[in-house]
Amino acid sequence: MAHFDEKDLIKLMNLSRIECSQEEKEKFYTSLSRVVDYIETLSEVNTDGITPCNHILETVSNVTREDTIGDLLSREVFLANAPSHVGGMVKVPPIIKLTPS
Amino acid sequence: MTNIQYDLWQPVIGLEVHIQLNTKTKLFSSAPNRFGDEPNTNITDVCTGQPGTLPVLNKEVLKKAVQLGLALKSSIAPFSRFDRKSYFYPDSPRNFQITQFDHPIISGGTILADVEGVTKAFAVNRAHIEDDAGMLKHFSTFAGVDYNRAGVPLIEVVSEACIHSSKEAVAYATALRAIMEYIDASDCNMEEGSLRFDANISVRLKTETTLRNKIEIKNMNSFHNMEMAIDSEIKRQIRLYSENPDADPKTIIQGGTYRFDLEKKETVLMRKKEAAEDYRYFPEPDLPPVFISASFIEEIKKDLPELPHERFKRYTEQLFLSPAAASTLINDRQMCLYFERAYATCPHAKNLCNWLIVEFTGRIKDSGRTLQAIGILPEHVASLVNMIEDGTITGKIAKCVADDMILSPGKDCRLIVKENPDYQPLQDTSSIEALIDQVLSENSQSVTDYKAGKTKAFAFLIGQVMKLCKGKASPIMVNEILTKKLQ
Amino acid sequence: MHKHSATEITTLFTKGEISAEEIAKNTLARIEHFDKDVGAFLAVHSERMLKKAANLDQKRKSGEKLGALAGVPVAIKDNIHINGTLTTCASKFLSNYKAVFDATVCSLLEEEGALLVGKTNLDEFAMGSSTENSAYQKTRNPWDLSCTPGGSSGGSAAAVSARFCPLSLGSDTGGSIRQPASFTGIVGFKPSYGRVSRYGLVAFASSLDQIGPFSTTVTDAALMMQVIGRGCDKDSTSIHAKAPDYVGSLSSSMKGLKIGIPWHFLEQLNEEVKQNFLASVEICKKLGAEIIDVDLDILSHSIAVYYVLATAEASTNLARFDGVRYGVRSPKATNLEQVYDLSRHDGFGPEVKNRILLGTYVLSSGYKDAYYKKAQQVRTLIIEKFKTAFTGCNLVMMPTSPFPAFTLGEIQDPLQMYLQDIFTIAANLIGAPAISIPSGFSNKNMPLGVQLIGPYMHDKEVLSAAFAFEKACGFGSKIPQAFDKEISV
Repeated sequence: MAHFDEKDLIKLMNLSRIECSQEEKEKFYTSLSRVVDYIETLSEVNTDGITPCNHILETVSNVTREDTIGDLLSREVFLANAPSHVGGMVKVPPIIKLTPS
Repeated sequence: MTNIQYDLWQPVIGLEVHIQLNTKTKLFSSAPNRFGDEPNTNITDVCTGQPGTLPVLNKEVLKKAVQLGLALKSSIAPFSRFDRKSYFYPDSPRNFQITQFDHPIISGGTILADVEGVTKAFAVNRAHIEDDAGMLKHFSTFAGVDYNRAGVPLIEVVSEACIHSSKEAVAYATALRAIMEYIDASDCNMEEGSLRFDANISVRLKTETTLRNKIEIKNMNSFHNMEMAIDSEIKRQIRLYSENPDADPKTIIQGGTYRFDLEKKETVLMRKKEAAEDYRYFPEPDLPPVFISASFIEEIKKDLPELPHERFKRYTEQLFLSPAAASTLINDRQMCLYFERAYATCPHAKNLCNWLIVEFTGRIKDSGRTLQAIGILPEHVASLVNMIEDGTITGKIAKCVADDMILSPGKDCRLIVKENPDYQPLQDTSSIEALIDQVLSENSQSVTDYKAGKTKAFAFLIGQVMKLCKGKASPIMVNEILTKKLQ
Repeated sequence: MHKHSATEITTLFTKGEISAEEIAKNTLARIEHFDKDVGAFLAVHSERMLKKAANLDQKRKSGEKLGALAGVPVAIKDNIHINGTLTTCASKFLSNYKAVFDATVCSLLEEEGALLVGKTNLDEFAMGSSTENSAYQKTRNPWDLSCTPGGSSGGSAAAVSARFCPLSLGSDTGGSIRQPASFTGIVGFKPSYGRVSRYGLVAFASSLDQIGPFSTTVTDAALMMQVIGRGCDKDSTSIHAKAPDYVGSLSSSMKGLKIGIPWHFLEQLNEEVKQNFLASVEICKKLGAEIIDVDLDILSHSIAVYYVLATAEASTNLARFDGVRYGVRSPKATNLEQVYDLSRHDGFGPEVKNRILLGTYVLSSGYKDAYYKKAQQVRTLIIEKFKTAFTGCNLVMMPTSPFPAFTLGEIQDPLQMYLQDIFTIAANLIGAPAISIPSGFSNKNMPLGVQLIGPYMHDKEVLSAAFAFEKACGFGSKIPQAFDKEISV
């Protein structure tokens, strides 16, 4: 496995929207590299033919609910926690009109 | 510029269709699934991504997905599951969408569509369930986010790259819309956004076997615009390749997202192709997997209405409607239901169909109203056609009756005929004979012509008789009696 | 009154020997007096608690039916919602976030007459093993105020350990209930995955999180489980099977019980912990249990598996904290990118950022198979190994923690902190019920704990065996000296 390098860290910061100062970057780089090296040890385990455990509950499946309206969140309560709102909408700085990927 | 040889090129198109399901509540949240309400009034803690909330699957969505799978004759996966798709955007309440990545509920399938009179089969690659994002409203100094739409259930249907023209694309889209309407799974309202199309388009020389680079067109909000957008893009790509015959094709078209500019009537670049976004898909741990059993599918099958392509088959093979007429009915569900009701009391399908989709449709349009709103009962239309078929009135009289039906919607046409002496059919043999005698005496040249072998004269004489009686005589009787008299 | 268990308090209240108001006032007085030294609480809901107590007294007066926890004060970890009050998750990001609904567990508790005291301190977003990652304050171990109470549910553990209240709720993702329980000399129980609803628990790692009780006695933990161990329609991973009679099933004997111990895996134990563990095993033998050897060597990989899976899930669970809909938005943000980047930069502490970055890494393209998929496969292996072990025994026994409580600031290296969870993580990975019970004291008079792990959904058996152990040695009844004082209201 390729070793965790600084390019990786920058890519991760972009993906996870976490900004860091240079000093913080260095700190993260150090601690993350160590942890990544540690989790590398998993490659020692033979997992040929083993199914990944994607759902821990073996006996539970098809959990559904009826198509009926439940308790709503009032707009007032919702917006009370919003950092900024206007006209009943949550307000954010202007966005260049792009559709997300 | 030398002539571009468009016909050397084959367009290759794939359509991704997002369909909002018309369930009462959202996919994972029990907020109402409604369009057009005040912002942030159809929300719960779940669909606004409040911390500590968890998704719970709406069973009606599963049902509709299975219905769609049956309608497309797809493979319905016995095991499917949900995945998280991560990306940051303000209209996403959790900054991850819950979708189905590698175990979609539906794989494969076919959409039968009528393309300019020919039925074609288009292959579907897959269809899966996912939740919709909220809506952003853009202003100059800020953007507003409304989460009413966040969490609305979507089915995304992805076609194979098997569409080769804009007409085929529209036919495919129309057929898919008809299916969704038939299984009552969606309002399919492009203006309200419950039906959204993205097209992936590339072209290649007809001799090539591999695909060239494609671009994506988004936000086509009507079939007409989609047709124009696709045509425009095909031309653009062919033109670029033709203008640069020596360049590496990969450099001519490099991917990207386009929109169709209605004013310029051409596709315009929105966003260049970036490095593929890393969505970091992984199985959604808050939702157990979905197992669809054969018995569940059987149960859904029982409730499945007759699907568009089955109905098309029945119309053309059993009712002997023309493919064009059948298509018209199929693609307009309201009209189709109307037709079915009328057909229940009038077995003359072809004539009935014609009267509905030509005669009545035209008159209703002229009156400025709609079939749903005008209040003419399907049974009355059926009655009218029955009267024509059994000779009670002629086709010509029927047209007058139809005009009256528009003026007095809801009035039984039999009553209209009864009340108007001009509509009374002339069925009295002696009266008809008298008319015929008159015509024969006034048109001796035609009689001579007919006896000399000119069959056209016969039709002329019939015409004269009908004119004289103002169309009231039964054509069959006139024909019979005239034939006898001319012998 | 501080010596009373929850069972005793509700009995006294129901009988009319003490009023809910008195209980509430006493609780609040103790906190007022002692919590400045401990720092267990982030918020004390005095007004709310007194109001509920008054209502409860009225209820009892008018002869209405009283619930199973009537009159019992319960503290709630501050990553679990009480409607209308702050849920901070000990993070700056949520310093102003008011819960918009009650967590299912809180509704259930209040339905049964419990008096919710307030919110306790934790490691930020439950990420940590010492509660030192809280953005607000340190919590101190009532047994030695220079030591941590463990984490991430350090506040809830300290509150019970210092006898501010007989019961509290924590959450356990990799040991966050059990390890603090063992550090603070009390009982901490992690139920089977799905046994307790997660609706209203701010998610850290969805497939590992469970809410569970801290208590001074196993009976109290069983009583709490009776109340909160229910199916929930708002949690798709919730089990709806009816809970057995946990309290009624408690047995003072281990006769017929087979206890599996992974001796090989435990070879490297710290001497003190080892001695205490061996002594605990002897107690089990005396109670009639048969000890057998099981192979759980695979657990040497459990930390790596955990830190791949938990951080992967957490990286997406915490993506919603973006400064858009709630939480603190950075006032310096002038465009959308900055709303995200600056709010998250300012709002999250370093350990949270560490884990989000790691979680993003193990899911990112090119690495997902090597890390995420691999870890999921090893998780399957761990589940299989335990299943095999359980064919030969009823319960597995291990120490809870490799060391007793360490001093505040002692462990700076994140990796070293992660290694604290070596014995507790397995139960989360396999979804099994697991309890930590006080098993003695170190040479420095710091509490030690042992852990019993049962097969999936065998919560009753785990509680029962713990009860027998507790009855035999009663370490949990010891109260830290500094807090063993009656406070007058």
